[in-house]
Amino acid sequence: MSNAVVDSDAGTTATSRADEVKRLERREGWKRRLPILPALIYTIVVTQIPFLFTLFYSLTDWRIDKVEPRQFVGIENYTSLTSETEKFFRDAAWVSVQMTVMAVLFSLIVGTLLAILLDRQFFGQGFIRTLLITPFLVMPVVAGLMWKTQMLNFNFGIINWLRNGVGLESVEYATKHPMASVILVLVWQWSPFMMLIVLAGLQGQDQSVLEAARVDGASTFGIFRQITLPQLRPFLELGTLLGAIYLIQVYDHIEVIVGGQPGANNLPFYIAQRSIGGGNRFGLASTYSIIVVIASIIIANIGLRVLSNLLEDDS
Amino acid sequence: MAEVRYEKASRIYGFGAVGEVRAVNQLDLDIADGELLVLVGPSGSGKSTALRMLAGLETVNEGSIFINDVDVTLKPPQERDIAMVFQNYALYPSMTVAENMGFALKQAGVSKSDRRQQVEEAARILDLEPYLDRKPKNLSGGQRQRVAMGRAIVRSPQVFLMDEPLSNLDAKLRVQTRTELVDLQARLGTTMVYVTHDQVEAMTMGHRVAVLDHGVLQQVDSPRTLYSQPANLFVAGFIGSPAMNLIEVDRSGDTLSIGTTAVPLPDDVSAQIRSSDVNTFVVGVRPEHLGLTDDGIPASVTVVEELGSEAFVHTEVAHQGGTLTVVVRVEGETNIRRGDSISIGVAGPVHVFEAQSGIRLGASA
Repeated sequence: MSNAVVDSDAGTTATSRADEVKRLERREGWKRRLPILPALIYTIVVTQIPFLFTLFYSLTDWRIDKVEPRQFVGIENYTSLTSETEKFFRDAAWVSVQMTVMAVLFSLIVGTLLAILLDRQFFGQGFIRTLLITPFLVMPVVAGLMWKTQMLNFNFGIINWLRNGVGLESVEYATKHPMASVILVLVWQWSPFMMLIVLAGLQGQDQSVLEAARVDGASTFGIFRQITLPQLRPFLELGTLLGAIYLIQVYDHIEVIVGGQPGANNLPFYIAQRSIGGGNRFGLASTYSIIVVIASIIIANIGLRVLSNLLEDDS
Repeated sequence: MAEVRYEKASRIYGFGAVGEVRAVNQLDLDIADGELLVLVGPSGSGKSTALRMLAGLETVNEGSIFINDVDVTLKPPQERDIAMVFQNYALYPSMTVAENMGFALKQAGVSKSDRRQQVEEAARILDLEPYLDRKPKNLSGGQRQRVAMGRAIVRSPQVFLMDEPLSNLDAKLRVQTRTELVDLQARLGTTMVYVTHDQVEAMTMGHRVAVLDHGVLQQVDSPRTLYSQPANLFVAGFIGSPAMNLIEVDRSGDTLSIGTTAVPLPDDVSAQIRSSDVNTFVVGVRPEHLGLTDDGIPASVTVVEELGSEAFVHTEVAHQGGTLTVVVRVEGETNIRRGDSISIGVAGPVHVFEAQSGIRLGASA
């Protein structure tokens, strides 16, 4: 009898002890969470709430140049995207795809080549690295203006001056090749970014692995293809992902260099045109924005997967 | 199968204003076909640099290196037909074990089926068969070491180069792998140059051992000769564990005394001292060549290291106005404790060196 009493006593002590431990763990958890709470709330207020509003607007026919109150129209905006009237949207979407893919691809290639050149000891290495980074530090609007007025300009541009020098006719680049002009400037600005990421990957390589490959009889190019490139994979993936995220929302360069000519209007530019830029169709523009978000997620995923497979198959 | 020859080979860093540093200085070394030669020395002695010069990974600034009488001094690594095992193994992280081992064969254009066959044979020798499809990051340290070995033997190279291949293994595995490596080298009969900083590894593995210090070759000989007849003070202090007792002694006439006790010297050494104009010498006696006697050098015990079959007794001895530490090996169990007063006698060969130059007196190897 007395034994039973002792047992039940021990039981209650054990449960209260377990409760105490749980309480302490909860407190520890809050200690960790509390400091990031303000940042989390701020982020939700400035990104997620506007996103929800955009989602709501995309389901209305809201335009601010009419006095009628906005009407809820369901998914009408979305279904209209395939109609004849929305041809410009589809054009802009296709421009966005081409522009992002080409700009990311070329800046990745140029950046990798620059990184390989920088990944060796030479006099003035630090200085040249800094020089190579500068395009990335220039404001997008300034970069656009600089290229428009000083490089690509029909009358005063350096490129046309060089063409004239070798007996070629001047070309009105911004009009004749609007998308190529924009991509050229984007590659100029984004190659340094890719270079920095790839350089980090190159410098993180174990030197003795490269030496082992040399002793094993691999050529310089063979070492790059079989040893270095597979090791660079996560860095190339990171560059692609970050590059795509930024380059899909390019606006400044297009505004400054080609300024709304057909052929180089990407989605962000078209969305601005159709809403705050004079179009006033906020309902429809919201729909475009939602499509951009969905497309960005899909493109980033496909891009990553393609790149992974490309490097995985190489054996 | 190959002989290797260093002819006055030097590796020089930092020309010009900085002043030059000779990492390896005028190295002359002949390595016979099928020999396992160990390069040993403290860090900064140039042993790894000497090996990397042979591999073609370091420039040879002066002199030449020959493999099988072919001058390879200016040839890139891939044209030397050598295989190297690195300290950190340097496995290709993105490749499987089989791909790692077959890499050199692939570069040489060997067909896929031949490659597979040779890799499997090497894997059988090294017990790596279950791991052929794994990536290096999924292997233990010992397995990685074996993959690095496998990568070397699969090519049947002229020379194996080993750069401290066991130093990343734990003590027990190191001793085991050491034996396996010696056995493997003997079976394959391939010339091997092995770099280590561990003199025990050097003594147990090498057919001959080359001792380097500050880029200069000090002595190259069989382990036994290095131990019994060190060519100079550096080799005497470096080879042997625990180290040889080295006692600086000012001479009186042709006798050298520790404390007040004269050290028994061979006749030729006494003769050399008599005719020398050097005043300070270093007397070297290994701990096992000292013993307990009744009327020897008085000493007080500071530490006793008991190892079961033997004990090393660290003592303090009064000598030339100061005290110095002398280590004595005592066989079997001992009753000696810290604070005891004992008497030490010399019971074996004594080595004598000139203090300044470190040169050995008497018969040399």
